[in-house]
Amino acid sequence: MLSPERRTSMAERRPSFANFSGNSNHIDTLMVPHLAGIEDPLPETTPEKVDVLIAGTGLVESVLAAALAWQGSTVLHVDTNDYYGDSAATLTVDQIKNWVNRVNNNDIISYNNAKLYLSTSIGPSCKYMSKDFGIDLSPKILFAKSDLLSILVKSRVHQYLEFQSLSTFHTYENDSFEKLTNTKQDIFTDQNLSLMTKRNLMKFLKFVLNWEEMPEIWQPYADKSITQFLFEKFKLEKPQVFELVFSIGLCCSVDTKVPLALHRIRRYLISYDVYGPFPVLYSKYGGAGEVSQGFCRSAAVAGATYKLNEKLYSYNPTTQVATFTDGSKVTVTEKIIMSPTQAPEGNQHIPDQKYEVNRMVCLVEKDCKEWFSEDESAAVVVFPPGSLKSGNKHVVQTLILGAGSECCPQNTSIWYLSTIESGVRAEMDLDAALEALEVSIVRESSSDITDNNDIVKIDEDGRPIINSVRLGQSFKEYIPRESVQHLMKLSYTQYTSTPPFDVVNPALFDNDELNNRANSVNKFIPNASDNGIIYTAMPSSEISYDEVVTAAKVLYEKIVGSDDDFFDVDFEDEDNDTVPQGASVNGTISYENAIDDDDDEDVDMGIRGDDSNEFVGQMEI
Amino acid sequence: MHGIKRKQYSREILKQKRLQDQLKIKTYNKLVDETLTIRDNKIFTSESLQLTSKVLELNPEFNTVWNYRRDIILQLQDTAPPEFWENELQFTMEKLKRFPKVYWIWNHRIWVLNNYSQASTKIWIRELSIVDKLLSMDARNYHGWHYRRLIVKNLETLKNQLMDKEELGYVTTVINKNISNYSAWHQRVQLITNLFKEHELNKKEMKKMVLDEISYITNAIYTDADDQSVWFYTNWFIENDIVRLVLTNEEYMKMLGEMKENIILINNDDLEFSGKENNWCLKMLIVIEGALKSTGHAVETDHTKEYLNKLIDLDPQRKNRYLYLLSK
Repeated sequence: MLSPERRTSMAERRPSFANFSGNSNHIDTLMVPHLAGIEDPLPETTPEKVDVLIAGTGLVESVLAAALAWQGSTVLHVDTNDYYGDSAATLTVDQIKNWVNRVNNNDIISYNNAKLYLSTSIGPSCKYMSKDFGIDLSPKILFAKSDLLSILVKSRVHQYLEFQSLSTFHTYENDSFEKLTNTKQDIFTDQNLSLMTKRNLMKFLKFVLNWEEMPEIWQPYADKSITQFLFEKFKLEKPQVFELVFSIGLCCSVDTKVPLALHRIRRYLISYDVYGPFPVLYSKYGGAGEVSQGFCRSAAVAGATYKLNEKLYSYNPTTQVATFTDGSKVTVTEKIIMSPTQAPEGNQHIPDQKYEVNRMVCLVEKDCKEWFSEDESAAVVVFPPGSLKSGNKHVVQTLILGAGSECCPQNTSIWYLSTIESGVRAEMDLDAALEALEVSIVRESSSDITDNNDIVKIDEDGRPIINSVRLGQSFKEYIPRESVQHLMKLSYTQYTSTPPFDVVNPALFDNDELNNRANSVNKFIPNASDNGIIYTAMPSSEISYDEVVTAAKVLYEKIVGSDDDFFDVDFEDEDNDTVPQGASVNGTISYENAIDDDDDEDVDMGIRGDDSNEFVGQMEI
Repeated sequence: MHGIKRKQYSREILKQKRLQDQLKIKTYNKLVDETLTIRDNKIFTSESLQLTSKVLELNPEFNTVWNYRRDIILQLQDTAPPEFWENELQFTMEKLKRFPKVYWIWNHRIWVLNNYSQASTKIWIRELSIVDKLLSMDARNYHGWHYRRLIVKNLETLKNQLMDKEELGYVTTVINKNISNYSAWHQRVQLITNLFKEHELNKKEMKKMVLDEISYITNAIYTDADDQSVWFYTNWFIENDIVRLVLTNEEYMKMLGEMKENIILINNDDLEFSGKENNWCLKMLIVIEGALKSTGHAVETDHTKEYLNKLIDLDPQRKNRYLYLLSK
């Protein structure tokens, strides 16, 4: 049965169409009906036979479900939980409490070591209510130029979601937060960079946008670390190197190999200026949880059947019959795809989850507006190796969400911290990062600061810029008088089979876990409940959605034979020329650059109403 | 609903479009014939004005029809209602929004403004903010810059006050946003030349401006040594009279010397990084050597020939020019 306490679902919540730029036809032809009742289990209509059974409504599984459903396969999509999202879910505080208990009872595979502190301010008839908060188990940011964004547009799942821009990336260095210089304009106008540094930075930015076509420059360093490459070949200095590698590239350690790091840095730069002066977006009301739900909705519209609170008991690959714990059965003619978190008792085939990710989530009683750009409610703060008191060997990545993200009430914010460090060291690193953030926000928001003009400057377009350099400089002299109120502090360890870096480029999928697993599926273990089941990968430390579509495509190909028609859908529109506006961003999309869809094989005359409205605005150099 | 393949869809639409196009072409030709006939018969009425509007709606590049339209307007202007001119401006604005790079529309608009006898200063100021907006959307549209100069000139007459200083501030902002903007650098040339010509600055200000400009240029060549607009500007700046006027001979030589050092540094850096020297650096070094020679002071070593020979290898498309320069 459904738990009575949950956040309002997508179906109940109407997206604010105010953000769509004035195309009212667009709303009328919204062919997806509001799905009341999708959350209710419907045992009487469970099919007897399906092509594919998917267990777990996480990101990869949901994207896959929608892709398969639209392609015409019959899909039964189940989840043992009473909520959608699985490892990517967005949960209320009470749901988190339950989740923590289950983790500590070893009920949830691939998670352990969950610790929760809850203040008395959250609860019934308290200052804050549990369902005022939407906490992501896998916090994520969406790059403007990414395969998931293209799929969101192609599938129109973006219509269920609301996105906001995130332009603020802070790098923490020497106890202060530095502003990123990643455009030619920034570099040219920056008074603090030496001339030669400007030249070197620009050289690198030009190179990285086209790096694959210039092997003569990076091939000699193909096996070396990106930091070595940047120091030696481009003569960059530590502040620029760390900024490029850890804030722009969002890499995890100084040893990241060159090709991978270049790919990640480029990802940020080509996403900049696609929809505006920012590289990433985040989803309101809850990140990955909302995105999964969106794809589930889409799958349901395409004919997939959904059942929550459903757990697989066993599967017989010979008869192809899957049995659930409630006794019901279904024949699965093609494949069963399952997240390890959904595995039945007596499972033997779950892949080795040898990589650790440690996370911390804090609900804080501060609005943190000082960290955000105007009109935004989120920021990314990166603590490079060695920048923390704990001497962190690996990066600590943090994502801060303010009340404007609709995940927390006014005057509060959610702080997500994560690291690939393991064990006790991870705890120390996360605590050190938390402390650094606390000291910073207290100082920045204190009314003791007399000269506020130093903090927020207005550039020539009238846009406020947070002058974090100035902040940081006087940082050390400041003695905090108040402390930050924690409303909740949650920490946990998750395990994954995906190595920390190999998630971005399909060509780098060389360990090909999924193929190996598929092959081991053929290995029949008697008495195993999960023979013949293909397991998906648990989410990794990756803060972007990059791994999702690749993984879904690989699975899709396994089932369907090829991924040519992955989300190759053509929604009928009354007006053939109506072009969907793409992800709706706060304010109107003011860019109308060449509309070019990389995924589209048909180089046509642009005559049909092109569904995938992917703006290609490259950073001009 | 699902499973409809895309390829099929587009072929059908393509056929449909072809048919629609043929119809459009027929309509257009008929309209043009009608309009030109009336023009040949020298008919200048508001109906003929409407007709020109229709043609220009379909093809704003048809200058003959714009000319005809202006003839009509001149004939009708005495009997025209007061809103007429505003409407005409509105008409051109609609066209410009869709076709910001068509000469004829810009021509017509400036013609309208010039003939609009009641055009107050306010209207011209409004025009300037329109150009601001256009340039903010496309900073490299030279139509916009040219138009801006016309507007500013008119405003200066109306206000009886030069605007070079403000305009310099504006162009600096635009260049800061993207130094690869040839039109903006060109504008800068115009403005600085004017500032000096019209004696808008005192001696101290002039010297400061020149020195600031040198830093600005240096900043630009370090930021992007491949950008031709920056180099063209540098070339102009080094050789123009203003600098020779404001700086003493020693100061001028010092400036050239420092610039030369910087350029050699950049060139060597390029050589080390990519194995090739930078064409622009070499060309600019030749210019500097020429400038140094012209001051009359002896130059220790003249590398011009060496540079030219390198350029022959690096820039074979212009080989003959370098050979020619070598022979001089």
